[in-house]
Amino acid sequence: MHGPQGEVTREVFWNILSPGSYTEQILLYILALAAIGALVRALYKGGFGTRLKVIFKAQGTDVDRLDNWKSRLWYAIVDVFAHRKILREPYQGIFHFFIFYGFVALTITTAIVFFQADILYPITGIWFMKGGFYLALSLFADVFGLLCIVGVVMALYRRYSIKPAWLDEKPEDNFTLWFILAILLTGFIVEGLRIHATETNPAHPVHPYIWTSPGGYAIGFVFSWMDERSMRGLHYFMWWIHVLMALTFFVYIGYTKLMHIFMTPVNIFLRPTTPQPPIKVMPPEMFECAETFGIHKVEEYSWKDLFDQEACMRCGRCVEVCPAFNTDKPLKPRDVIQNIRTHMEQKAKFALDANGVYHILPDESYTGPSLIGDCIEKETAWACTTCMACVEACPAYILQFPKLIDLRRYLVMMESDFAPELQGVFKGMENNSNPWGIGAHLRADWAKGHDVPLMSEKGSAEYLFYVGCAGAFDDLNKRAAVALAKIFNEAGLDYAILGTEEGCCGDSAKKIGNEYIFQALATANIETFKGYGVKKIITLCPHGYTALKYDYKELGGDFEVYHYTEILDMLIKEGRIKIKEPITDLGTVTYHDSCYLGRYNQVYTQPRDILKAISTSPVVEMSSHHAKSFCCGAGGGRMWMEEHLGTRINQKRTRQALEAGAKTVCTACPFCYTMLTDGIKELELGEQLQSADIAILVARAAGIDLKPKKTEGDA
Amino acid sequence: MNTVVCLKQVPDTETLIKVAGTSIATEGIKWVINPYDEFAVEEAIRQKEKMNAGKVTIVSLGPDRAIESIRTALAMGADDAVHINDGAYYDTADPYATAQVLAAAIKGLTYDAVFLGKQAIDDDAGQVPAFLGELLGLPVVTQVIKFEVSADKKTATVTREIEGGQMVVEVPLPAVFSAQKGLNEPRYASLPGIMKAKKKPVDVKNAGALGVSAGPMTVIKEMSLPPARQAGKIITGDDAKAKAAALAKALHEEVKII
Repeated sequence: MHGPQGEVTREVFWNILSPGSYTEQILLYILALAAIGALVRALYKGGFGTRLKVIFKAQGTDVDRLDNWKSRLWYAIVDVFAHRKILREPYQGIFHFFIFYGFVALTITTAIVFFQADILYPITGIWFMKGGFYLALSLFADVFGLLCIVGVVMALYRRYSIKPAWLDEKPEDNFTLWFILAILLTGFIVEGLRIHATETNPAHPVHPYIWTSPGGYAIGFVFSWMDERSMRGLHYFMWWIHVLMALTFFVYIGYTKLMHIFMTPVNIFLRPTTPQPPIKVMPPEMFECAETFGIHKVEEYSWKDLFDQEACMRCGRCVEVCPAFNTDKPLKPRDVIQNIRTHMEQKAKFALDANGVYHILPDESYTGPSLIGDCIEKETAWACTTCMACVEACPAYILQFPKLIDLRRYLVMMESDFAPELQGVFKGMENNSNPWGIGAHLRADWAKGHDVPLMSEKGSAEYLFYVGCAGAFDDLNKRAAVALAKIFNEAGLDYAILGTEEGCCGDSAKKIGNEYIFQALATANIETFKGYGVKKIITLCPHGYTALKYDYKELGGDFEVYHYTEILDMLIKEGRIKIKEPITDLGTVTYHDSCYLGRYNQVYTQPRDILKAISTSPVVEMSSHHAKSFCCGAGGGRMWMEEHLGTRINQKRTRQALEAGAKTVCTACPFCYTMLTDGIKELELGEQLQSADIAILVARAAGIDLKPKKTEGDA
Repeated sequence: MNTVVCLKQVPDTETLIKVAGTSIATEGIKWVINPYDEFAVEEAIRQKEKMNAGKVTIVSLGPDRAIESIRTALAMGADDAVHINDGAYYDTADPYATAQVLAAAIKGLTYDAVFLGKQAIDDDAGQVPAFLGELLGLPVVTQVIKFEVSADKKTATVTREIEGGQMVVEVPLPAVFSAQKGLNEPRYASLPGIMKAKKKPVDVKNAGALGVSAGPMTVIKEMSLPPARQAGKIITGDDAKAKAAALAKALHEEVKII
């Protein structure tokens, strides 16, 4: 007998065990142990175990992942239970929430029942699962079980009816949902049959509280026409079906994406904790001693790079937001991860010896599929704009696109294999320190006639205004540089520019994969900055902002770096920039978040605050904005490459601005400004939409004239 | 096939040029391989790679700084180099004197072809290929845009660019070939290439050691930049008619073309 008679509780193994017999209970133990054994075997012998061998052989260097383990653990717990990232997508967030808490609640309930009936009671005879506690537990399990069903049905509806283009479709995906649904339904049927055979009797102690099992009670009506004997017969049968399915499901986890239940929390614990953007600077000493650069075989990744693949459950959020995927280019961040995962197993077939030991094969003796080409196509590696939308969207904290940059590094530095138009870009950076290849001596020409203080003349200044190549050389963006200098003059800011001593920040080179040029450019700039004792820097371009703020730090350049929107916002709020006349003629305004300002640096509010301060126009948001903003197409060095595949990213973004009902789309990044201005031209939308740079707008609202003074010698 | 490539280091095309006497001021200048010589380097490396045999030797006349461009060529895939590091000779050298010293350096080498650019983009003389052919006693094919060697490596079939068309010539080897744009797309040196180039042998010589005493046949008397472009003039007027009248007046009286 499992449970006291005549109490408000339920008899565990009701109708399963015959009086005095323990056959089914023992059978259940044996089956449960077998299931655990099968799961362990699945993990050890299956793909997981194989991949683990590759992970243990990973050669790449990685950071300390156990620092601050307490805060890491706390973050992971909160993230998992609060669904911090998962709930960002309402529909899939909610159904995951329901299924997740269904699993949690039913696991807790099962554990309590097991502890009560299989451990505590046989040993001590104590039965605590009774009265109010029992009823609460019953209600708890039923409610969460029902929510879990709702979640599964929502997920099924998405798979069969909504069918988003970015959703992966493997037979496993639909089957898993039906499987969970079947387990839940059989559970409720077993419960319902028990209730209708026992508790519906008014004499039963639980009868007055039968509502605490709403799911089971309701579903039991399907069978209430049966006599008790038939109910008992069906109950016995359904109980076994339920148990066998539940145990099979347990083993099934080990073979499927359901491994994320265990692996994703681990990956959240291991997540990067520094504010550093996800692409590592290569150790400079490497260039003196290393024989190979970048990554061309899977073992060259770090163990964490490879562990990422274990945490991926193919949810596709990264695909949904990817600008390359959304413009028909051959890149789905999820598939990058999944392909590496498959590749690890494929490679193991060659790399494992008879004893199951993994050997890293030299290139010459390896004949299997290659990482670059077979596993990930070159076009895929080159399609990425490094916009970071995938990393931002990933609920498992996987770094998708940085894995592509490693491949680019190999292609560029080892093979010189890149788009032909990039050769001129590299040479321009090498010879004239700018990607346009315009003479370096012309770098300060934009400032002529604008009273811009030079560091070499001033000696030192509170702020270095680092203009960057676009502000210095690109006609469209030179106006933004002029606007900023004049605003700084007007606000009385103590600043100076480097003029011709300034060099390219190197961000494009870095993201294209030419770390060698990046480090040459970066170290030259760091030396110049240090020569003037620079402490604070204002950048015009979010790319330079990111490079100077984070990447330079890794190369020994520690500066306090601001983007101009942060400074202008501060100057306006402090009243140091006087808005003489708010701008009235912009029509509805929308702000385009630059990836490198938003996702890379979380600067979202300042540009919007500036717009509100300087214009009377209503500000609307585009369909994707803030952390989900859609790239302009110029990041990751794509600014300098032809866009041969699919449709154009900048045009897609331009249309989004139009669809938001905007008349003016504002930017705070020279690349974005160029791309959206081009988008408007290409789509011939000049009548309906205009692009504007925030710095230029601020100058206008402050009544600052951007025309140069006529100086002698100026033609 | 062994090849020799003559290489000149020139100022980057975007760099600011200032005249100093009969030469240019060199401070602040970014130096690069003469772009036409880069085609020559690339072609020599491609021929070597195609045949999987032979070596490419760079020969360059220039001061200390020229070593950077020599290393770049070595990084692209050339095997070794002769650097005629003779600043005094270089400073006064005209194309004839340059060809003299290059020929002297090349004479001691074994080669099947000499490649070089059709001209250097600094002084634009374009004479060295012809002088070199004469001094080495070899045929010269200029303006090469396609190069193929026969199976027995005795002759080359070469496509030349001519005004409005192309010409294919056959020439016995060894010979001198001057590269024109279109011959190939020079490669970007890989990082391992750059690292390896640091260790490749460079034979440093001077004109005296090569036994060259011939001086220049020409002397630079003057050098000047083109006049700075004048600012445009905006024609003003109350209406189109007045503007047209003002334009006609300006064309007649100021520019004197109508």
